[in-house]
Amino acid sequence: MEALKNALDFSDFPRIDLTVAGLVLIFLLAFPVLGFSSFAMATMIQFLMFSLYGMGWNTIGGYGGQVDLGKAQYVGIGAYTTAVMLIRWDIPFWVSMPVGVCLAVGWSFIIGYPLFRLKGHYFAIATIATSLVLKDLFEVWNFVGAARGLEISPIKFHPPDFLHLIFKEDVYYFYILLGFFLLGIFYINWFRKSRLGFQLRCIKDNEDVARSLGINVHWAKIKTYAIATSFVSVVGSFHACYIKNIEPEDTMSLTISILIALMAMLGGAGSLWGPIIGAGILIPLKSYLKEWLGATVGLVGIDIIIYALIIMLVSAFEPRGVWGIIEKLRRRKRN
Amino acid sequence: MEILLSTIVAGLLFGMVLAMVALGLTIIFGVMDIVNFAHGEFLMIGMYTGLLTAKATGLDPLFMMPVAAGVGFLLGVLCYVGFIKFLLRGPMIAQLLGTFGLMLLLRNLALLIFGSEDRALHHGILVGQSFDIGMGVIIPATKLAAAALSVVSFLGVWLLMNRTKLGKALTATALNAQGARYMGIPTERMNALAWGIGVGTVTVAGALIVNFWSVNPFIGLLFTMIAFAIVALGGFGSVPGAFFAALVVGMITEIPGFWDFMTYTFELDWMANVPMTSLKYMWVYLAYFVIMVVRPRGLFGWKH
Repeated sequence: MEALKNALDFSDFPRIDLTVAGLVLIFLLAFPVLGFSSFAMATMIQFLMFSLYGMGWNTIGGYGGQVDLGKAQYVGIGAYTTAVMLIRWDIPFWVSMPVGVCLAVGWSFIIGYPLFRLKGHYFAIATIATSLVLKDLFEVWNFVGAARGLEISPIKFHPPDFLHLIFKEDVYYFYILLGFFLLGIFYINWFRKSRLGFQLRCIKDNEDVARSLGINVHWAKIKTYAIATSFVSVVGSFHACYIKNIEPEDTMSLTISILIALMAMLGGAGSLWGPIIGAGILIPLKSYLKEWLGATVGLVGIDIIIYALIIMLVSAFEPRGVWGIIEKLRRRKRN
Repeated sequence: MEILLSTIVAGLLFGMVLAMVALGLTIIFGVMDIVNFAHGEFLMIGMYTGLLTAKATGLDPLFMMPVAAGVGFLLGVLCYVGFIKFLLRGPMIAQLLGTFGLMLLLRNLALLIFGSEDRALHHGILVGQSFDIGMGVIIPATKLAAAALSVVSFLGVWLLMNRTKLGKALTATALNAQGARYMGIPTERMNALAWGIGVGTVTVAGALIVNFWSVNPFIGLLFTMIAFAIVALGGFGSVPGAFFAALVVGMITEIPGFWDFMTYTFELDWMANVPMTSLKYMWVYLAYFVIMVVRPRGLFGWKH
């Protein structure tokens, strides 16, 4: 009960933040009836998915300061669990999703235990390595369709199918994902005020001090890694039902891992709103750049070039992200 | 037996070329503690430089090594002065993502300029030639030349790092940047130089590799990961470590060959069914992970 109260309690934010958040929420709730194109709808779903990924990453990467660049493997585990169970045994999404989370968390414990003996760069590259190993294995594993991947054919189902999460219209996906999104925000809001949240911020600032205060550093990191993993895995499962066609290359590639970290960093790692701001800026930018420049002008890859320039500028000149800029402005105003 | 021998030879030869690939990464890491994700992309640029200049002049790409080195050196210094310098002030995550952005930029610029198709070298004095050294071992001349030249260049850089004043200044910057600054070493210039040498060596490696490997804009990441594995095994920042580690990693990339050897020698059917060639590079990543967990300093590590 206490936890629930904590999760719903946003009173430590300034009123302006909450007003903006409320307006955004109203906009999101009303988005499908505002009559935007289906392209905008798809972009919006991408935005929600990536802000959830980013929120998950933010627990370990933002609050904990452990740069994890291997989150894509858990997207893959979640997506493949759901797809395999749906195709082979006709098991509904609401059963396969928790199973996927269990598998992902189990795997995260297995590799997290040795991983967290490493620090800094070493940790970051090792997470990439584990992710690539898993991707290579999935590319030759015939049970999950090897490199061709899996395809969920919607013909067997009668949309709207709420059990298997197979719909014809994106609106249903949008509202279900919005539900996950709100739950995610409440969870992170609880997390940042929980015991583990405070322990993590202590670890980020100074690991030795944390250890001397009696915090089990290794275990706290592993636990948080599992939390981040379950976030990513849930959205991975959703991704399988939404995209309906998954292959190792687009669920588990390094690009996905980096995008996830990038969302949180661009918005501002270690703050509740950071990943949402980051995804809100990057995802529409990416979609529309691709639409306008890639398809219309015919320059292949120009969208990613602009994207890369933004990444480079942000990381060189404002590494604390958009939220960092906002806080700087606020501090200046106060003084 | 023939399979085993030729696998070992192939692994060693490839390992010598890989030593040149990883050299730049370990120098850059050693001097300024930054992990460069764009490393493989510089290799790709070196490959294109070798290929295109060879096609334009009609000479063999082996003679294009100086051109590739020059292009790489300039590119490295430019990257440092224009971008990395600002990155070094930020936290680690900004450095990781920043060099990742650089990688995306270079890769997609190459895609825009050169197109996505594979390009290979079809002419040249060594292409198609090979030596039969007996016992069923056949060595392609291109690989032999690449390995030999790469060992020579590696030795050259090692001498530069260990036997000259410049190299001493670089090592001093690596060990303690602030101390080096007090001693009157222009550390900022040393960093730029490290980037120049680091990128220059990897573009040379690219010009060597293009003799026997086709090039496309997406080839970089594979070599980045291989280079990470080598540098991790040899110890971050260690130059001789990188050489021996590269030989080991060269062997690891030939695991499918050893697998074939076992399959034929012991006539095991289940072994023949494993798609080993598709898993070729998985062993490199796995090796990286195991090395990092078991011995984070690597074999010859001297930092941390």
